[in-house]
Amino acid sequence: MSENSIALIFAFPLFGAVFCALFGRKSPNLCHPISVASLAGALGAGIETLRRVIASEANEVSYFFGGWNADAYPRGVGIEFRADYLGTLIMLVVVGVAFLVAWYSKLPVAEETPEKEGYFYSLFLLQVTGLAGISLTGDAFNLYVLIEVAALTGYGLIAMGSARAAAATFKYVILGTIGASFYLLGVGYLYMKTGTLNMVGIEQFITDNESLADSAAMQVAFVFVCLGVLMKMAFFPFHAWLPSAYFHAPTTTSCLLAPLVTKVMIYVMIRMLLTVFGVEFSFKNTHDDEGNIWTEVLPWLVVLAILCAATMALAQRDVKKMLTYLIVAEVGYMVGGVWVYNYYGLIGSIFHIISDACMTLCLFLGVGIILRKRKTTHFDGLRGLFRKMPFTMTGFFIGGFSIIGLPPTCGFFSKWYLITGGMLAERWEYIVALMFSTMVMVVLFFRLIERIHLAVTESGENIGHGHGDLALPKSETFFDEAPLSMLIPLLLSAGVVLVIGVFNQDVVNLLQDFLEPFNLPKGTGR
Amino acid sequence: MKKVALAVTLFIGALLLYAAKDFSVWGHLQSPASASPVSKHFIADTGVDTEVPNMVTAVLADYRGFDTMFETVVIFIAGIAIIAILRRTGADADSPAIQRESDVVAEPDLIVTNTVRLLIPVIQLFAFYVLAHGHVSPGGGFQGGVIMGASFILVALAWDLPKALDRLSVDRAIMLAGVGILIYAGIGLFSMLLGGEFLDYAELSHVLPVSREMARYHAMLGVEIGVAFTVTTVMFAIYANLSTRGRLEGGL
Repeated sequence: MSENSIALIFAFPLFGAVFCALFGRKSPNLCHPISVASLAGALGAGIETLRRVIASEANEVSYFFGGWNADAYPRGVGIEFRADYLGTLIMLVVVGVAFLVAWYSKLPVAEETPEKEGYFYSLFLLQVTGLAGISLTGDAFNLYVLIEVAALTGYGLIAMGSARAAAATFKYVILGTIGASFYLLGVGYLYMKTGTLNMVGIEQFITDNESLADSAAMQVAFVFVCLGVLMKMAFFPFHAWLPSAYFHAPTTTSCLLAPLVTKVMIYVMIRMLLTVFGVEFSFKNTHDDEGNIWTEVLPWLVVLAILCAATMALAQRDVKKMLTYLIVAEVGYMVGGVWVYNYYGLIGSIFHIISDACMTLCLFLGVGIILRKRKTTHFDGLRGLFRKMPFTMTGFFIGGFSIIGLPPTCGFFSKWYLITGGMLAERWEYIVALMFSTMVMVVLFFRLIERIHLAVTESGENIGHGHGDLALPKSETFFDEAPLSMLIPLLLSAGVVLVIGVFNQDVVNLLQDFLEPFNLPKGTGR
Repeated sequence: MKKVALAVTLFIGALLLYAAKDFSVWGHLQSPASASPVSKHFIADTGVDTEVPNMVTAVLADYRGFDTMFETVVIFIAGIAIIAILRRTGADADSPAIQRESDVVAEPDLIVTNTVRLLIPVIQLFAFYVLAHGHVSPGGGFQGGVIMGASFILVALAWDLPKALDRLSVDRAIMLAGVGILIYAGIGLFSMLLGGEFLDYAELSHVLPVSREMARYHAMLGVEIGVAFTVTTVMFAIYANLSTRGRLEGGL
C-alpha cells in the first residue's frame, strides 16, 4: 500500500464524505467517528508520503492516476500528482489541521447545525479532500477542479452558519467565482501556448522556448493566474468577502477554513510562480537582470494590504472579527515574502504558511470555546475568563504570542525569515509594514489579555481592581473548563505551535532543499 | 462605483484583446496544442490503449478520469450544499407554510399529463441510450444523467412536486448521488487494490474475462453509470429544493 500513499490521502476523506452523506440522516452519531477516523487515515498516509519523499533520491515522488505513467506514455497524458517537500508539507498541515478540527467539532456541530450533521461532515471532508489535492497536484487544470471542490464546499459550510451567513456567503460566491474564472482563463492561455497541462511539461516548454518570454498571451496568462489566486486568497483590495464570511460561519467551519483556505491559495501562487512559470519568467525582466514590474509594484500593494488590515483589526470590538482581519494582514505578510524576490523571503513565506495555519487554528479553536461558553465573542464577554478556563486561555495566549512573534513560538521564526528576506532585498517599506503590524498585534493581544485577566470594561474602567472576585458574579468566574473533546485539540494545536518553533531548523532544512535549485538571489541588491 | 466597474471591465477587455494578437492560428498543425506529444498520443493511440472509438470519452473518463471524478464530486457537493442550507430543522420545520398565491394548486391539466405520460418512457430510454453509447458517439454519463433527471422534473411540472417525490424522495436522491460517487471512486479503489494505481482500470482485467484494453473500455462504462446516478439525482434534488425553498411541498 505504501506506493499508493498519495492516493490514500484523499481516498480516505472522499469515501468518508460519501458515507457521511449516506448514513447521516438515519444515524447522525456515526458522522463524527467516521470523519475523525478517515482523517486519521489520511494523516497516516500523509506522513508515509513525507517519509517516501525524504527517502527518494530526487526528493520528490510522482503518482500517475490511471496508470498513465511518464515512462510509457508522454508526460501529461494522464493526471500526475507530484509530492515534493513544498507540497507535502502543505498537505500535512492541511490534513493535520483538519484532523484536530474534526476531533474538536463533535459538540459545536451537534449544537449549531442539528439534524444536518451528515451534510456538514460530508462537506467538511470534501473540503479537506480538495485542499489536500490542491497541495499535491501536478496538473494545472486538475488544480482548478480541486479549487472548485474546495470553494463549493466552503460556500456550503459557511452558509450553514447564523442568519446573516447567507448574505456573507453570497459575497464570497461572487468574488470566489470571479477569482476561479480568472485562474481558468489563465490556464486556458497557458495550454494554448504550451500544449500541455502538466506542470512539469509547461515549465519545460517555457524553458525550451525562449520566445515565450515576450509572448503577449503568456503575459496575460500570468496576470490572470496571479489575479485569480490573489482574489481567492483575500489579498487586500479583494478581501471584502473574508471577514464577514468567516465571522458568520459556524464555529467548526471557521476553525477549518480560516487556517487553511487563504494559506493553500498562497501555496498555489508559489507553486505557479516557481514550478510552472519558472523563476525566470515570473520575477525577471526579459531584457536585463533587474526584477520585473511585478516585483516593483506588488511589495507596495503588500504594504498597503498589511497597513489597512492591521488598522481595521485595531478597530474591531469582537475577537472573532478581529482575527478575521488579522488573517487578511497575514496574507499580506506571505505575499510580500514571495514578491520581495529573495531566497530568505521565500523561505519565510513558506514557513509562515505552515506556522500561520497552526497559530490561526489555535486562536480560532479558542474563540470557538469562548463563543460556546459566553454565547458572544465581543470584548465585553471576555472578562474573568482566565479564572474560569485557565487551560483554554493558556492555549489561546500561545496562539496570540505566535501571531505577535514571540520566541519560541513558530511565528517568531517565520517572521524572522520574512524580515531577513525583506532586508536583503532592501525592501524597507515591507519591513516597516511588518513592524507596524507587529506593534498592532502586540496592542491587540495585550488588550485581550488584560480583559481576560483583569476584568476591564469597554470604557477602560477596572472594575475588579486587579484582584479579588473581579467584581463579577461567582457564577461567571468559578472553574468551568471547556469539555475535553474541545480542550485537547486546542492544547495540541498550541503544542504544535511550540514544537514547530523549537524544531524550526528541521522544517527550514527541508524548504532549503526544495528552494536550492531555483537559484534565487540570496544577497543584497534587487 | 459604476465608473470603477466600467474601468475594470474595460481594462480586462483590453488585456484580452492584447493577448488575442498572440493567438496561434486556428487549427494550425504546428500550434503548440496540436503539435504537443500529448495531443498526438490521444489522436493516434486512444484506440490502442483503450479500444474506445470516441476519443473525447476516453480522455474524459480514462486519461483524465481523475478530473472527471472530482467534477462528479462537485455536482454531489452542489446537491448536498443546497439541501444543507435550505432544509428546515426543529421548530422551523413545523411552522406552517406561508400561503402564496402561486401555492394554490390547480388540478393537473389532462392534456399535459397525458402528453407527459407518453413522453417520459421515451425520454428515459433515450437517456439510457446516450449513457450507454457514450463510447462511440457524443454522450456519456453527464448528458444521459441530465436527460434522466429532466424526466423526473417533468413529472413535477406536469403534476406536482409530491407526485415526483413519491417516486424519488430527496433523501433517497442524495443517497443515490452518493452511490454514484461510490461506483466511480469504488472502481478506482478496486483497481488500486488489484495492484495498479488509483483509477488504473486496466487492472480490472484480473477479474474480468477480457484484455487490459477492453477492461478500460468496460470500466469507462462503469464510471459513466456512476456519473449518471449522481447527475440524475442531484438535478432533481436541486430542483425540488430550490423550487419550494426547501419545503418540498405544493406545486410550482
